[in-house]
Amino acid sequence: MLHVENLTVSIGDTPILKGLDLDVGHGEVHAIMGPNGSGKSTFAHALAGRDGYDVAGTVTLDGADLLEMEPEDRAGAGVFLGFQYPVEIPGVNNMYFLRTALNSVRRIRGDDEIGARDFLKVAQEAMDLVEMKKDFLYRSVNAGFSGGEKKRNEILQMAVMQPKLAVLDETDSGLDIDALRVVAAGVNALRGPDRSMIVITHYQRLLDYIKPDFVHVLVDGKIVHSGDHTLALHLEDHGYASYVNHDLDDSPLSGATA
Amino acid sequence: MVQSRAAALEQVGSLKLPTKRDEAWRYAPHKSLGRLTFGPARGADALPQDVQRQIPDLDGPRIVIVNGVVDTGCSRLVDVPSGVRLDILDEMDDESVTDSSQVEQSVAPDAFVTINRAYGTGGALIRVDGHPEQTIQIVDVVVPNGAQNSSASRVVIEMAAESSATVVETRIGSGDKFGGSNVCTEISLGAEAKLTHTILQDLPSTQIHLGRVDVTQAARSVLRARLFNLGSEYGRVAYQVYLAGEGASADLSGLYFGTGQQVLDQQLTVIHGAKDCTSRQSYRGVLDDSSSGIWNGGVDVRPGADGTDSEQSNDNLLLSRHAEVNTMPRLEILADEVSCQHGATVGQLDEEALYYLRSRGIPKDEASRLLISGFADQMMDDLESDTVRSWIAERLERGNA
Repeated sequence: MLHVENLTVSIGDTPILKGLDLDVGHGEVHAIMGPNGSGKSTFAHALAGRDGYDVAGTVTLDGADLLEMEPEDRAGAGVFLGFQYPVEIPGVNNMYFLRTALNSVRRIRGDDEIGARDFLKVAQEAMDLVEMKKDFLYRSVNAGFSGGEKKRNEILQMAVMQPKLAVLDETDSGLDIDALRVVAAGVNALRGPDRSMIVITHYQRLLDYIKPDFVHVLVDGKIVHSGDHTLALHLEDHGYASYVNHDLDDSPLSGATA
Repeated sequence: MVQSRAAALEQVGSLKLPTKRDEAWRYAPHKSLGRLTFGPARGADALPQDVQRQIPDLDGPRIVIVNGVVDTGCSRLVDVPSGVRLDILDEMDDESVTDSSQVEQSVAPDAFVTINRAYGTGGALIRVDGHPEQTIQIVDVVVPNGAQNSSASRVVIEMAAESSATVVETRIGSGDKFGGSNVCTEISLGAEAKLTHTILQDLPSTQIHLGRVDVTQAARSVLRARLFNLGSEYGRVAYQVYLAGEGASADLSGLYFGTGQQVLDQQLTVIHGAKDCTSRQSYRGVLDDSSSGIWNGGVDVRPGADGTDSEQSNDNLLLSRHAEVNTMPRLEILADEVSCQHGATVGQLDEEALYYLRSRGIPKDEASRLLISGFADQMMDDLESDTVRSWIAERLERGNA
């Protein structure tokens, strides 16, 4: 479904991803783990289409070339990125935002726009999924939200938009254990044969709740090791040291941000 | 006290218009100001069709002023709610109005105020002694024609002690000929009176609007002034608010939204002349194309005005490389134990927010519009009237199309 081949990304003169290969099949959940500065978030944003990256290589989603597309068209094609730092947008209310987003991807996908009443049903289900309170729809997007609310809002958006590929960038960061449980339950409920996921995390903790089919270790812009979910447990015990050490001399990671 | 009409008429022949050296007029288009022609009020035959559509569809009493003369046919002066007296200034003895309005003009009148005093014989007098629920609407229309392209009019609002009211002043113009309107509003608030006063300025971009609002507030009175400065080649509104009684409070806010070559100018001075008064100035500007905005916000804390609490903020969004804004918070403090805060920001559309919206499938143009209206709409949040809110929203949508 998702095919990534020899993906390189530079920001300015700094190479971040240095030839990343990854294949994600339908319905699979892949975890990408790695130390700070290894390029995890850059990979997520390269998939979503952030400006300011020099990108080369191949990225296709069900055969469609993602790298040629604007961010909005990638969303239409079925990509969803759950942001590590969801953006606050004062003055734009969640209901309007969600409905505009949903109708935008529906237009790109060739579906009819959704009416107000049907939309409310969709939104209500999504709110229930992540235990969001009633007034949520009338608040501004992420403005004044707690860390946990922001992350729940990301999962809520994912539930509304029904992506083919969800990329969750450090969705666990900044969450207490209760919020983590809610977010993970939301993600698990959205798993299905037609939806693949890439879960990016620094810690193994999240993977106790969202059990991946595959785990990849990303170090210095490349996937250096892949395995099943037991690899995450191994990393928890041993850290990334064994992967990083041989690279330390020739590749300072300054300039690369998580 | 307000300058007398006789004195103004005497001076009007030898007036010197403001120049770039006058700080309060520094960014005004002086050439265009020089082309404005004023004279005795003359009225227009009928309210033109194009402006009728632009009047907010508010229920309740209203006075419509066309070229400086009240159009009684379009005004609604019957069934005025109890607690309100609405009069047409043309029919009033000028000196009695001047005496009763008791408005202090703290700053020397500029040439356009003198012109207004000389020729602004028509207008509206609103006297409130009660709590009318309906909004009182004043509409000022200029219809430029050859001989005299500009109009002058006057609005006087007198709030008796403990009264409350909402007044909306809509200022518009007809056609695309050059011309302008010069409207002076004098407001006095008795002790504990409450007034919400909104100005909707939307003249055509070929015309000029010069607005001036002088307010005097008695003890514990509350003013909420809202300005939506949207139209005109040069759209200017200057407020002078004098907090004369202890514990008075003035909350001024507004939005200016410029496109094309527009220059939108807000000049504010709030004078703390008594103890324990509160003032807020909170304005936002959105400037596109080659438009520019001016925000000159002053707070004067007079000797003895201890316990003053004032805050000023001015936030601007520049949508084009050719747009500009000049923002100048000013503070002069001559009292003790005061709290005065000010801040100004100038920025562009938040790239991160744009990307976030686009990553949710929202096309770039629509995402930009969403962010712009998110920024601007916050200035409409506390408007009580849905009619006024949707009037502004529709106006902004048209402007952006």
